[in-house]
Amino acid sequence: MHQTTTRRLLALLGAAVTAGLFGGCIKPDGAAPPLSGKELFASCSSCHGVGGEGNPTLAAPSIAGLPAWYVESQLVKFRTGIRGAHPDDLEGLRMRPMSRQMKDEAEVKRVSEYVASLPAPKAVKTLADGDATAGASAYATCLACHGPAGLGNEALKAPPIAGQSDWYLLAQLKKFKDGVRGTNPKDVTGAQMRPMAMTLADEKAMKNVVAHIATFSR
Amino acid sequence: MISHYLEQASTFARDIDNLILLITLTVGFWFLLAQFLFFGFILKFRAQDGKKAQYISGENKWEKRWVSLPHYATLFFDVLIIIAAIRVWQDVKMTLPQADSTVRVIAQQWAWTFVHPGPDNKLDTADDIRTVDELHVEVNKTYHFELQSRDVLHSFSVPVFRLKQDVIPGRTIKGWFKPTMTGGFDVQCTEICGIGHGIMAARVLIENAADHAAWVKANAPQVAAATPADNVPTGGSR
Repeated sequence: MHQTTTRRLLALLGAAVTAGLFGGCIKPDGAAPPLSGKELFASCSSCHGVGGEGNPTLAAPSIAGLPAWYVESQLVKFRTGIRGAHPDDLEGLRMRPMSRQMKDEAEVKRVSEYVASLPAPKAVKTLADGDATAGASAYATCLACHGPAGLGNEALKAPPIAGQSDWYLLAQLKKFKDGVRGTNPKDVTGAQMRPMAMTLADEKAMKNVVAHIATFSR
Repeated sequence: MISHYLEQASTFARDIDNLILLITLTVGFWFLLAQFLFFGFILKFRAQDGKKAQYISGENKWEKRWVSLPHYATLFFDVLIIIAAIRVWQDVKMTLPQADSTVRVIAQQWAWTFVHPGPDNKLDTADDIRTVDELHVEVNKTYHFELQSRDVLHSFSVPVFRLKQDVIPGRTIKGWFKPTMTGGFDVQCTEICGIGHGIMAARVLIENAADHAAWVKANAPQVAAATPADNVPTGGSR
């Protein structure tokens, strides 16, 4: 009786040790619960902030509250090299590997939905020398896609620009104009945006239109 | 032996593997021997009934040999390893053999930009070919590389070349390699450079002469302004 109990205890101990040793090596093959959008966002928050409010020092724009379809489309572009693969796109090249941390489309969708659920922060003005009045006429070019209040148009794949940081808008206009963004043959929407940015003659004109966009509320 | 696990794709890869092997076998042999003696003595001189412990002052000649002989052996093998290491270091790091071509490698968080010289085989000309995360080279050609960083410290590492060189912001660091086999191999950053360090990967594509010429021809029209850098003559030593 005593020997049987000892054997059983030893067998149990052996099984526990074996499970402990090899348990961590077994790939769950989908058995593990998928990461939530919030959990996935942890890798984004180091640059974009915990609330997605952005960080100008790192050239990371505010993304909180952007529509999920837009966030998802940009993540797909970064992941596939349609955006952020130009040698002069320093910030895009930083974003490119980070976007690839999402394992699959489902994760991209979940993190996009989480970003969309975050409350949009109020943009802080960083550019001082833009003339909003002069920019209003130049904005007529943007109006057809981004709307009169800059709220965007999903049907045209035009993102909302109202409430976006002025430094980021200026940087993107420059990138489009210089061909750093929107020149990949597969970037259909970028190719649409590029000629629009090229209608702005110089940095002053860009700052004016950005100053006008800053008058919109999100 | 090491090449069984990782190909040797540069002229100096074998030399570096042999050096690592020399160090591993030399140090490994003496380490195992020391451990064997250490645990052997623990077993032999363990507490035993009827035996009293004794103090050994270590003044006898035969006792001193347990210290002096390993000491001389350490010196001898240290010098041996240093000689072998200096020989490889001189060849890989201190000498720049005449180059057939020069490429510029620009590191940034968290990507590699490669500037290829284009059909004229000169950097900083209008036909330079710039790529992101993809370095194209021709097999059996000697390349010089110019390492630059746009932001922080990085390290350019091509494991199959057995090549690793730190990249320092504000400096252009030169080196060389000569690929010896065709194929696609990993390039990695081996200096922690931020949150994306672990995913800062690229590929080196080693092509035969015909394929490389075809790639240059196909990509040369994608001309863009090259990243400014000093023109560096090939050949000589640092």
